[in-house]
Amino acid sequence: MSNEQVDVRSEVRAWLAEHWDADARRPRAGGSTSDFIAKVFEAGWAAPSWPQQWWGRGLGKEDASAVISEFRKQRAPGAGQDRTNITANTVMNFGSDALKRKVVPEFLSGRVHQCLLYSEPGAGSDLAAIRTRAERDGSDYVINGQKIWTSGAMSADYGLLIARTDWDVPKHDGISFFLIEMRQPGIEVRPINQITGDSHFNEVFLDNARVPAENLVGAEGQGWKVLQTALAVERLVMGEGAGERRQGSAKSNIVSLIDIARDAGKLGDPVARQEIAQAMAYRQLNTLNMMRAKAEMAAGSSSPIMSLGKLAMSRILHEDARVMTRLLGAASMLDGSDNPRAADVNYRTANAYMTSIGGGTDQIQRNIIGERVLGLPRETEVDRNLPFRESRAVTG
Amino acid sequence: MTMITADERAAIRESFARLLTDQCSEDDVRRTMEVEAGYDPALWQSMADMGILGLIVAPEYGGIGAGPVEVEMIMEEAGARLLAGPLLSSAVLAAGLLSASKDTGAQSRLLPALASGEQKATVALTGDKGSWTTDGVSVEARGEGDVTKLFGTASFVTAAHVADILLVVATTPDGLGAFEVDSAAPGLSIERLESWDRTQRLSRIVFDGVSARALEGADEAAIEHALDLARVALAGEQAGAARRIFDITIEYLKTRVQFGRPIGGFQAIKHMAADLLIEVESATSAARAAAQAIEDDAPDRQVLVNLAAFACADAFGEVAATAIQMHGGIAFTWEHPAHLYLRRARADAQLFGSSDLYRERYVAALENAA
Repeated sequence: MSNEQVDVRSEVRAWLAEHWDADARRPRAGGSTSDFIAKVFEAGWAAPSWPQQWWGRGLGKEDASAVISEFRKQRAPGAGQDRTNITANTVMNFGSDALKRKVVPEFLSGRVHQCLLYSEPGAGSDLAAIRTRAERDGSDYVINGQKIWTSGAMSADYGLLIARTDWDVPKHDGISFFLIEMRQPGIEVRPINQITGDSHFNEVFLDNARVPAENLVGAEGQGWKVLQTALAVERLVMGEGAGERRQGSAKSNIVSLIDIARDAGKLGDPVARQEIAQAMAYRQLNTLNMMRAKAEMAAGSSSPIMSLGKLAMSRILHEDARVMTRLLGAASMLDGSDNPRAADVNYRTANAYMTSIGGGTDQIQRNIIGERVLGLPRETEVDRNLPFRESRAVTG
Repeated sequence: MTMITADERAAIRESFARLLTDQCSEDDVRRTMEVEAGYDPALWQSMADMGILGLIVAPEYGGIGAGPVEVEMIMEEAGARLLAGPLLSSAVLAAGLLSASKDTGAQSRLLPALASGEQKATVALTGDKGSWTTDGVSVEARGEGDVTKLFGTASFVTAAHVADILLVVATTPDGLGAFEVDSAAPGLSIERLESWDRTQRLSRIVFDGVSARALEGADEAAIEHALDLARVALAGEQAGAARRIFDITIEYLKTRVQFGRPIGGFQAIKHMAADLLIEVESATSAARAAAQAIEDDAPDRQVLVNLAAFACADAFGEVAATAIQMHGGIAFTWEHPAHLYLRRARADAQLFGSSDLYRERYVAALENAA
């Protein structure tokens, strides 16, 4: 550890000791968590690796990591958004200076919320087939189309939007990326009723919604490239978050599968025990893989394992639900608060698809692993080089 | 146990890998599997000179004094190359059992010869049922005056036909014990069994009043301790072999052209490859985590050893079997190496006990941990 790093660490510690009550997990001065995050932003800890004129502290990679680790130790929020804040990173990378000044402080200080307007009914796995259109009208763009699978749309202030600005070039080349204000008359949000009974996601209808041209992120037609950056930040956040949840749930899952078997009188059943072992092994193997991947990356070698996590997790969740169902037997026909085990296992059965479909289906994940990790030839895309107007996404 | 630095560990791995590249090519393996001895004496000597045969033997007995982590590591390399011979039997299982015993006499007499390659040993663990459980032992040790004599049968004994020393697990009035037997002792008959994995040598041994010497302190706990090391070594072999046949397959997918494009471009094949990569990486993680848990004598040691035992066996079996399907016709030929990996996978999946046995033990260990 360098002297400089020690200095950064002690500075962070001192700052946290003054502003954050780690035991109570709340700001010392009272007030809300977002008040605290605003202070984190003002102190330059929100994005410590960014230059000072852009709200950072100009720290190197190691020092910036030290800041995050000190915040983590105290379970304090708000630091290290230079790695994890999707909007702030995307705008910092591709937005105009004016746009940066306008929105990045709002996002870093936690005052505003975002949602992601990417998928459409006709553009799921094939995201570049979007048909939402953005047309220039004076100093604005006018947006028409429909987005789907948007979480947080009801409470979002801004949406990260991809829309088509050019229909006469191949599909990846005619897309532009916008930061659109959600609270306006041209935007209607409708919750989706999911197979679980939840409503976590929404449909978003854009009917002559308007976005000022200065909210274009990256140049017109560069939206696909901008999107890749936004997705990379999102995957990092999801991967790390999932990793923590995974660690936490491994133990509770072990207890619950064995408990369910015991309560169902099947803990002595050798066939049931084999199935329990296999389901628990999938989960533990994934945990071991993630630990090894982190160790290998810390040692400086790249690891392909991280890209396997989502596919592995989808198998784990489906297999858990299947084994739990077998253990419950006929009781799995039931539901409701009188039948909590049945309600839980049925919820798990349905909700497992959120992981095996959402954020790229298992089948798309296998393509990605095959192509990007193993170097196998890419899928042929018959419309890759066609002007989008002539592709079947448009002609039907 | 000696402290091995990360650099030393990497150096051991690299020089062993280089040795195998030079002297354990596919042609070498095919040649070796057809000779009666089932191993290459020149390569065996090179391994002794490099310290591989004495890897876990204490320095005072001429070894390196390394631990489970290094054993797992070199077994990944051995598995990748389908190394044939008594490495696991002599240098891991027998040397491990001697080391786990409290018999300093036997240790000082036998371990230096095992480390130098002058002598080879193996361990007879199970009977005709091949269950590798306590009740599967069908050799009985009887005290007759001052001497102990062994009666019964042991089967699926690896490398017994070339072993100078047999360590035999037998029942005694006080539970299981381990006994040292000279492989040329009267009353002993060793019958070679024909094995489907031709790189492996299995024997059935009949004991008809064979004079034996009890290994001091080789009780059931010591035997289990030695077996854990062997299980992790086998898991490493499986992980290394699975990765190699996987890599061979991926290379083929990039070069084999049908319908005008490499077959790896077809989703039917690509998706199989992605699923197998999870198996390969999981096997590696499981084997290494189990080795580390033994090294640290961690609280979840039994959970991780049992997990590695079935996860690595199943992964290697799945990868080797699917690799043949993904290759198509070429891998149905004797000349293609894929079947050699399938044969090893099927043999390894039974050695020391089936996946079903270890899944059961895994659940039991988790129940204990909960």
